[in-house]
Amino acid sequence: MTVATHCPYCALQCAQTLHPTPGERLPVEVAGREFPTNRGGLCQKGWTSAEVLRASDRLTAPLLRTADDGFREADWDEALDLVASRLSALQEQHGRDAVAIFGGGGLTNEKAYALGKFARVALRTRLIDYNGRFCMSSAAAASNRALGMDRGLGFPLADLAGADAVLIVGSNMAATMPPFVQHLAGVRERGGLVIVDPRETVTAKLTRDGQGLHLAPVPGTDLVVLLALAHVVLAEGLADQEYLEERTTGLNEVRRAVAAWWPERAEGICGIPAERLRETARVLAAASPSHGGRGAYILTGRGLEQMSQGTAGVTAAINLALLLGLIGRVGSGFGPVTGQGNGQGGREHGQKSDQLPGYRMITDPLARERVAGVWGVDPDSLPGPGIPAVQLLDALGTPGGPRALLVHGSNVVVSAPHATKVVDALRRLDLLVVADTVPSETAMLADVILPVTQWAEEDGTMTNLEGRIIRRRKAVDAPGEARSELWILQQLATRLGVPTGFPTAAGEVFDELARASAGGKADYSGITYDRLDAGEELLWPVPGAGHPGTPRVFLDGFPTPDGRARLIPVDHHAPADDVRADAPIYLITGRVLQHYQSGAQTRRVAELAAAQPGPFVEMHPLLADSLAVAEGDAVRLTTARGTAEASVRLSEDTRPDTVFMPFHWAGKGSANRLTNDATDPISGMPEFKVTAVAIAPAPTREAVAR
Amino acid sequence: MNVVVIGHGMVGSRFVEDLVARMPDARVTILGKEPEGPYNRVLLSAVVAGKTDASMLAMSAVDPARASVLDGVHAVHVNRAARTVTDSRGDVHEYDRLVIATGSAARIPDIQGIATDRGLVPGVSVLKDLADAQGVLARLPKARRAVVLGAGVLGIEVATGLAARGVAVTLVHHAGRVMERQLGDAAAGIATGALHQLGVKVVTGASVAGALERRGTLTGVRLTDGGEALTDMLVMCAGTIPETALARRAGLPCERGIVVDAQLASPADPRVFAIGDCAQPPEGGTGLVAQGWDQARRLVDAWCDGETAAIDQAKAGLTDVVRVKASGLDVVTMGLSGKFDHGDRELRAVRLADPSVGRFVEVVVSNGLLVGATVVGDKQCASELAAMYTRAIPVPADPAHLIVRPLAGASPAAAAKNVEDLDDDATVCQCNTVSKGRIVAAIGDGCANVADVAQATRASTGCGDCRTNVQRLIEAHAAPAATTTDSGAAAPRIPALAG
Repeated sequence: MTVATHCPYCALQCAQTLHPTPGERLPVEVAGREFPTNRGGLCQKGWTSAEVLRASDRLTAPLLRTADDGFREADWDEALDLVASRLSALQEQHGRDAVAIFGGGGLTNEKAYALGKFARVALRTRLIDYNGRFCMSSAAAASNRALGMDRGLGFPLADLAGADAVLIVGSNMAATMPPFVQHLAGVRERGGLVIVDPRETVTAKLTRDGQGLHLAPVPGTDLVVLLALAHVVLAEGLADQEYLEERTTGLNEVRRAVAAWWPERAEGICGIPAERLRETARVLAAASPSHGGRGAYILTGRGLEQMSQGTAGVTAAINLALLLGLIGRVGSGFGPVTGQGNGQGGREHGQKSDQLPGYRMITDPLARERVAGVWGVDPDSLPGPGIPAVQLLDALGTPGGPRALLVHGSNVVVSAPHATKVVDALRRLDLLVVADTVPSETAMLADVILPVTQWAEEDGTMTNLEGRIIRRRKAVDAPGEARSELWILQQLATRLGVPTGFPTAAGEVFDELARASAGGKADYSGITYDRLDAGEELLWPVPGAGHPGTPRVFLDGFPTPDGRARLIPVDHHAPADDVRADAPIYLITGRVLQHYQSGAQTRRVAELAAAQPGPFVEMHPLLADSLAVAEGDAVRLTTARGTAEASVRLSEDTRPDTVFMPFHWAGKGSANRLTNDATDPISGMPEFKVTAVAIAPAPTREAVAR
Repeated sequence: MNVVVIGHGMVGSRFVEDLVARMPDARVTILGKEPEGPYNRVLLSAVVAGKTDASMLAMSAVDPARASVLDGVHAVHVNRAARTVTDSRGDVHEYDRLVIATGSAARIPDIQGIATDRGLVPGVSVLKDLADAQGVLARLPKARRAVVLGAGVLGIEVATGLAARGVAVTLVHHAGRVMERQLGDAAAGIATGALHQLGVKVVTGASVAGALERRGTLTGVRLTDGGEALTDMLVMCAGTIPETALARRAGLPCERGIVVDAQLASPADPRVFAIGDCAQPPEGGTGLVAQGWDQARRLVDAWCDGETAAIDQAKAGLTDVVRVKASGLDVVTMGLSGKFDHGDRELRAVRLADPSVGRFVEVVVSNGLLVGATVVGDKQCASELAAMYTRAIPVPADPAHLIVRPLAGASPAAAAKNVEDLDDDATVCQCNTVSKGRIVAAIGDGCANVADVAQATRASTGCGDCRTNVQRLIEAHAAPAATTTDSGAAAPRIPALAG
């Protein structure tokens, strides 16, 4: 009996077939499965994903911290009693907000929903946020204010195949979600793939040999590239006037704002020749429908978004797409490429600090009334908006701040910016509870570790980067005492005096989620497991049982008060921590193919660890030469936040003024010890993607001893 | 606090926008001589060249609800004792602080016959404001020939722009070489060659001595070298003069511009500031908008944060990068360029001159930093050098590496080798880290097509880009008889859309 499910990792959610293999070392065998997104393909992470089910240090029983700072196994009753009594005591003493929750973009829709409900109904704390704040918050903020809605891509991935041009700003999907690349075959054949990335990544290399253009801006200046492209589109009369008149507002303001970004000025900031910027704008314009092209798409990734001007960056991308008349049209479009497995669904159902299910705002009285009705509680009992992730982590254990934190599906010690500060914050807590499948670096700081199920051990739904709702299906039982978060939340809620409202069956939770989302922007009310299991392709909104879903959004208008998209003027500012005499090199961070996020899963897969064994810093040979270091040398990197060590990997793919470091490792090789926790004023997104760094050969042991 | 800003151009408007954002309770009045509000003067040459639509020039301005914006109203008198400014309508504005951002005017050379009491003779113009650009555009349909006076940045942009529109252009320049302030002989020679190729006739070491006219309209010019040229247009790009008249009348010290100290304040009056082209700061005015915008930002920061407005060398971006906006002619200079004085600095200057392809690059390095560069005919190099220069990023150990980049693909790692020539440990399938050796071994074990290899090694099951290479390896390594059979051993397929 085989089981059709999807990969445990990224937002592409490649379809997999699991063949249970009782008696073997691994409980299932994994194969790729035909599906519109991955077309049968899997990357090395997906192929080896079964290894994580049997990680040698898989958590199989609740663990309680002991007096000698070790852990001992406990049964569920003891662990849950302890957690619930401590939470109650802390809330009694310090108020509801003494307990905070940190969720994750890898949790199923059902878990994300239940977690948000647990915070608002069982704990009644306003303090919940999640690691999607580090992922999609800028894209979400920009889409919501400009387009009235954020559904990720807004169109099926396969639509890309027909376009004449695809502009991708700050995404390296050929390494992070390789099967995606199949959808770029058509545009590459037509020479229209445009990649903006400071590195010549494997994705940027797809533009070689006439398949497109690669622009390598100075880190932190992608926004300038977009402003200059908009300038050229307007200056050369390439905009879609009819579309702008009928479907948008704000053209005049944006025209005036981009008037200040003529290509020669932009060149001085972003380092891309003015003529190259003009050429790029013309390629995009020629591909757009108003010039008779087959269509153009603009996609954004974390490179643009993980900036203290991330919302402005995505806004500039949207502005460009609107100027060219791309959004809400078949065959053209805009969209952010979501990163985490359920990065889309995870931002729709209430684990965000200001949000209720259905992508509703917690400050909206109607939304509160509606959701409280489904939950059977008084709207006034729902807490107000909390605070975004970086602020939340900063507040832990401070006077007046939360005393306890529950972490679900996140390894903040490795994945949050300025990671050493996060460790200090977690240590200030009276109680840290971490639910995870493996003893992650964050779990190792916990007072209580709760073992949970993963991927092939559970049922549920995920919402992929297209806004497509897909089924995760159980193939095997979890080892030992690992339980689903749905069960844990139900148990805790009961102990906290809320014995009803937390069903443990995923299908039951989903039905409630669907009801709670009805009438919201992310309306799932017409979706059922039955429809999904029957093979229906459902992309939200699906408002009602007979509704066929919405593969392409905005075709009939934008969900804004006047039905029009908003062009919003934005401007560029330098990185919060820009290069200077004592830190004269840019540090950028990102992922490698074989590892996922904090590496908690992939570092435990021998085949992946063998292919990418440890932290490294990629630099241009010219930079290495001036630093007097060579391939394989250990170097120390220092930023205003801290230091890290990594070995040198030489590559001409990176600008000589820039080094690249992947963020998958913990300890002294952790890139996030270096990254900046300055945040975007609108989205709360930290500035992961650019900071100033000083690099020197790592002190040898002898030198340290002296 | 009452703030009066005189001048609503690119710098004055930026200053007021930033100021009201940071200091919401300031009462700000801004007087602008021109009726249009702020617009992008830098692009006037691009409008003349037909590269930019004139509607693109309008720039963002302060929200009229946040400041009193008086466009089409100019200041006529500043009374520093009473701290008032009187405008052209007779209204009096009180100030606690006064910011002068009056910009500069085009210098009109002393040329016989270019002007009457009614102003410039039809056909003769400068290019300083929107009206000038519209005047040039209006004459274009009937213009066959043009003389541009002055081969500075603007003159070159106008000359190449008109030439690109099919006008026969003569570019007349008083100095012995074009852009003599920024370019040395070799670079200027190469730039001149490029101008010729773009259809611009360059006359150096001469100026226009007089205008020839018939019935009140320009017909030609007489040059100081005795030559004459027929022309329908004379566009004078002979530099600018800071607008200091108002400041001089108010008794503020002025030299070339309004003298200000490092705080951008007049040494004679701490309540009066000057920014942009009208100002003469200690480091000198560059005439570039980047400097004016930087001054506007620094002044707002100083007022709001109580910090000094002086340039913080540790943080400051360098703003003296000069770029010629001309299709087909790439000239960029920054810092020390042309015939500069070494002073007592330790400088390393490395240059590449390649006149036959129109390329010249010179970099000047001091203490590990780029302090100057001149680039003609190498866009990529120019943009990389400017990014490095403005951010003070350390240069490679050998400055020659700034000029000559290794050929793409010259390094072993980048070489696009045929898959057949790769070593066995080279990775063929990046998505699944499958080496060539493993693929060849799988073929040896009987894999006869790409699907078989995928089944055995996972190669090509990620992005699929290596399918061609796997196929080539099969063709190179498989037993001839086996290549056409399909193994039929593909993974069992599940209905495509099962959720």
